[in-house]
Amino acid sequence: MKKIIPLKDIHVPVPGPDEVYSFKILNEIFYFEGLKKLLGAADISKAGDRTTDLAPKNAMDREAARAILASLTLQYLYDNPLTADDGSVDSVMRAGYEIDLELFQSIAHMTMGDLKDHLLASNGTRVAAIGLALTPVMASALTKLMDVHELVYLPGKIFRPTKARTLIGTPKTLSFRLQPNHPKDNLDAISMMVYNDLAMGMGDCLIGVNPSDGSVDNIAAMLWHIDKLRRETGAPTQICVLGHIKSQLTALKQGAPVEILFQSFAGTDETLTGEFDVTVEFLDQAVETMKNEGPLKDIADQFMYFETGQGSEMTYRKHNGMDMATCEALCYGLCRRYDPFMVNNATGFIGPETHLNDFELMVSTLQDHFMGKLLGLPMGISPSYTLHSNSHLEGQQMAVQLATAAGANFFMDIYLGTDRMLAHFVNSGHDDQTLREIYHRNPAPEFLQWAVQKGIYIQHTDGNVERGPNWGNPRLFIKSDLEFQRLHEATPNAPGFENAGPRPAHKVQEVIRINQSVGREAVHSHLKPGLFTGFTFREFVSTAVDHAEHLKNPEVGSKLSKTDLDSLSAEGNDVQIIITDGLSAEAVHHNVPDMIPVLMDGLKSRHYSLGEPIVTHFGRVKLAECISDVLDCNVAILLAGERPGGDALSSKSMSAYLVLKLKDEKARKAAAIYSEHEKIRYEYTLITNIYQGGLPPIEGGSVVAEKVMEILENQAAGNRLEDLLKAQKSV
Amino acid sequence: MIAVALKLFKVMYRHMKNSQNIKEQVKMIGMDFGSTTSSAMIAVAGVGMNSVTGRMAFSAPEIVYRSNVEFTPFRGAEIDASAIAELLDTWLEKGDNIFSGGVIITGLAALQQNSVHIAALIKERIGQAVIATVDDPNLESWLAFMGCAALLSRHFKNETLVNLDIGGGTTNPAAGQNGQVKTTGCFYIGARHFQFEPGTYRLINISEYGYSMLSHIGVTNEIGDTLGVDILNKILDLYIEALKAIARGSLAFFESDIGQRLCQTSFILPPNVDSPLITFSGGVGELIYKITENEPIPSTTFYGDLGIDLAKRIISDPFFSKQITTIRPENMGRATVYGLTLHNTEISGATLFLPDTSALPLNDVPIVARLSMSCDLSDLLNSISVVAQRSGKACIQMLPVTDSEGGALPASLQQIKTLGDRINQALATLTIDLPLVILVPGNFGKALGNYATDWGKSSAKLMIIDEIPDRNAQFVNIGSPYRGVVPVSFYGIY
Repeated sequence: MKKIIPLKDIHVPVPGPDEVYSFKILNEIFYFEGLKKLLGAADISKAGDRTTDLAPKNAMDREAARAILASLTLQYLYDNPLTADDGSVDSVMRAGYEIDLELFQSIAHMTMGDLKDHLLASNGTRVAAIGLALTPVMASALTKLMDVHELVYLPGKIFRPTKARTLIGTPKTLSFRLQPNHPKDNLDAISMMVYNDLAMGMGDCLIGVNPSDGSVDNIAAMLWHIDKLRRETGAPTQICVLGHIKSQLTALKQGAPVEILFQSFAGTDETLTGEFDVTVEFLDQAVETMKNEGPLKDIADQFMYFETGQGSEMTYRKHNGMDMATCEALCYGLCRRYDPFMVNNATGFIGPETHLNDFELMVSTLQDHFMGKLLGLPMGISPSYTLHSNSHLEGQQMAVQLATAAGANFFMDIYLGTDRMLAHFVNSGHDDQTLREIYHRNPAPEFLQWAVQKGIYIQHTDGNVERGPNWGNPRLFIKSDLEFQRLHEATPNAPGFENAGPRPAHKVQEVIRINQSVGREAVHSHLKPGLFTGFTFREFVSTAVDHAEHLKNPEVGSKLSKTDLDSLSAEGNDVQIIITDGLSAEAVHHNVPDMIPVLMDGLKSRHYSLGEPIVTHFGRVKLAECISDVLDCNVAILLAGERPGGDALSSKSMSAYLVLKLKDEKARKAAAIYSEHEKIRYEYTLITNIYQGGLPPIEGGSVVAEKVMEILENQAAGNRLEDLLKAQKSV
Repeated sequence: MIAVALKLFKVMYRHMKNSQNIKEQVKMIGMDFGSTTSSAMIAVAGVGMNSVTGRMAFSAPEIVYRSNVEFTPFRGAEIDASAIAELLDTWLEKGDNIFSGGVIITGLAALQQNSVHIAALIKERIGQAVIATVDDPNLESWLAFMGCAALLSRHFKNETLVNLDIGGGTTNPAAGQNGQVKTTGCFYIGARHFQFEPGTYRLINISEYGYSMLSHIGVTNEIGDTLGVDILNKILDLYIEALKAIARGSLAFFESDIGQRLCQTSFILPPNVDSPLITFSGGVGELIYKITENEPIPSTTFYGDLGIDLAKRIISDPFFSKQITTIRPENMGRATVYGLTLHNTEISGATLFLPDTSALPLNDVPIVARLSMSCDLSDLLNSISVVAQRSGKACIQMLPVTDSEGGALPASLQQIKTLGDRINQALATLTIDLPLVILVPGNFGKALGNYATDWGKSSAKLMIIDEIPDRNAQFVNIGSPYRGVVPVSFYGIY
């Protein structure tokens, strides 16, 4: 087992000042100020890097940057560590410098271009060894030099097997993590999805659930439940509930079966500590705890599961001036420190802020897989798409095909590909089986043996494996009709269990696709104010130049365009209604016509002064503050469409944000004390799920009106209001 | 990585979200006092919006207590109050903070004073949380179906399923489709019309229906006689004939003298059903499935009645046998008490019009009118004046407007506003001092209530409880609110 070296014992050269690099193509000279900008410009242009101004400006700019990068030696990159915004070498960067120094010395003279040629010409053993002698920044530089064939070809030579109960990542295998998420952690729905996808021969890598409720009690309860399913079915695999690492460790201390410990990683210390609430020191201890106290300590070689993906640092604006791929490589440097059982790359999950379309998604997926594998990690890939980006099922499937060809250790697996909690889409068990058949891959050996016994697979004497009689039949594990019915009823978006070969039956696929199409159209639909009859309104636009910019950059939707803003002045009304598209104009169209009359009737009954409603194109939640600031209203009611998921009806779901401007100084002080935020100016109450299948719009209008009355009467919103109301009731 | 976005998308929600969908657990109880046996069950379940249906519902119910099936304690024909009290204290050890449930008292236990005693003892212990229902045969049939066959019926959603709940005194059939009960009935066909000295066939008691059956087969046995095999077989033949007639929906048998004698409320299968799926529950139902599972059962007449013999005859009858092995319901012998615990109560929606919660709980509220959402002012005035004339309390059930095929249509804004205005006018015309409870089928209680009271300005004591489907019942109990929802249970089902 790998020993963790104290950070202070890892040598990192002292960073020097930024250099300016230049390269001439024909008559044009391209300049790059500092290594960070050079690394960014050498990549393909991606949404996240465009936002941070790190993407190449054009094709020639990119090729100039690539040419410069190719000419830099490994020693040069070693000697010039990238720094945090304060000029220091942060702990994540330092962790990446733990490399095979002896081997490094022997190749340090090579340029990046030489190294690329050398790797392409070497065998797998040599490539794997060199990977351990590279820092993350070198891997990032290398990935910028490679094309798609190279990104597929090179990692295909490397195998990074790891072992818990099952041995994954060996040649000719392909494993899967079940991800049976449910929006309310419903254990019956989780059982249904686990039974079904185990019966598809999936889950040999992990059964891992993302909890909706991250409390220790809930994490422990879910762990015990999945543990029960694992024992009941006899499936040789390991389990995990992907809560915060601190909660998982508390659950472990209480005796819960935390077999594999999960944590999300980021490539800068600022993101890791500021957003994920962990430090390298804490992680060092956590890994030691798992080695000494984890339930698999006697049989597993690895215990950790990390998730990464390009763009999280950028999303939090804590990227320290580095491009998304470089930050991602730095994550891998930190992952490598802990010899994980699995590292999953969830590129595409965040949405168009980081990856605008299928092309960006595919390239990042391959880059991440390559960098991770090269640096020594057991890489899995989870290319995913959301309905509010320009990525699609087809693009996601192409990315997965390429990543399988490139030799990924594992993929995700969600029943019918729809994450019922996180409103994004990944691989289904059907996709996974299809890949196994196309690429002649088997499950982990222990799991295969079990699956053959269960009739899920048949193994012929020549070793060939094919689907068996019980493949894809959840009734293998659910004998009684009653139990099956009960579990099925608990599972949202479950149109059927019929299969056609390794694929879902067309009638099943059709329902899922239709639902997604409704969601996608909802996101991409444009606000049609003509549908709002029966009340007058003012029509404005945010600072987003168009719908595409609105979707990919939440900040531009938070402000009114200058022209519109200039046309407004203080009105001092009690209430201002703001209608905006948010992430689904369809949701707004669906609910506003019935909701507004009720809402206005309610507010008028109390004789509140109402500003003429405002309809704003391309708006986000924070728009309420921008408008409240200028109109000086007491409460703004912002109605906006929610991010659609895979359920057709819920794609029409709208939220009402009731935004109280803390005009009253006494109320503001109380809010400051309550929130521990001294400069607080606004408080929010949120009412979600307004649609026919949730809180219907007519009833929603009434609920919102009553809530606004309470907010105005108490000059409080959010949890502070609820506490005040509770106290009033108890008097 | 997923944690990144989870954090991005959920942090704000956590800070701002109202408590509407937070997972909360409530405790429910069911108690069944019959002529022969009594039992109780306590369950806990979550209350929240169902992710699939979008309605407020109980979720993941878990039985936390299952009493033994006890002989109902009598002293002669009268209930033994101190023994019942002891029984209740044992059952209710874990019965604090009960949210909902039901108690049903049938047969001998339901005789006037007995039921009063039992109800008083329960009230002393758990207050108004649950109300005892006395002799409500169709409710029993409904509960038994819901308790053992509803889920199975949803599984076989294109078939009709008949559940025969066979107990000591009666057989309570219910036919359902896709989990919904369509028809119910009740017949005096039970294991205990002939009571024996346990282990023998020496008669120690014969009920009035037992005598009718003996007379029908032409024998004159009396208490003290030992029944011979041939007579026993003839009695069992009669039972089987009657049960088959029920299950097949054949009315001819119940037109005969003996058929009429054994019928308490008739049972008619839904139209176009000839071979329904059949399940069993009740004491005899439990024995049927135990025997087919090869579980040990005591020797014949161990319980001092015909239960074991009847179960064996049903199993060996070709009409019934083929289904018994393939279709297995849940909770068999305890279907009624399970139904009482978990299905007797509807949960209201989470957004009610309930300005004054102190009026709750309201029990034994007669449903005086069932009006369409599109009713006119005179309908409302008539109904409310009926409410006003009642000395106690009364409620109105609103029915959805339906399409040409009988499917419920969601209420439109115009319908809600119009109905609200009419209720407002009606309440202005008729001053009533009683709380007026209106049950509505869809999720629009708050909106309707606000329109009916001019947004809370009217002084009428109006309560609108929403998401309550019509159960075609005579009475309703409305429990105390818990985190914005109230339990609603019906009895006196037609």
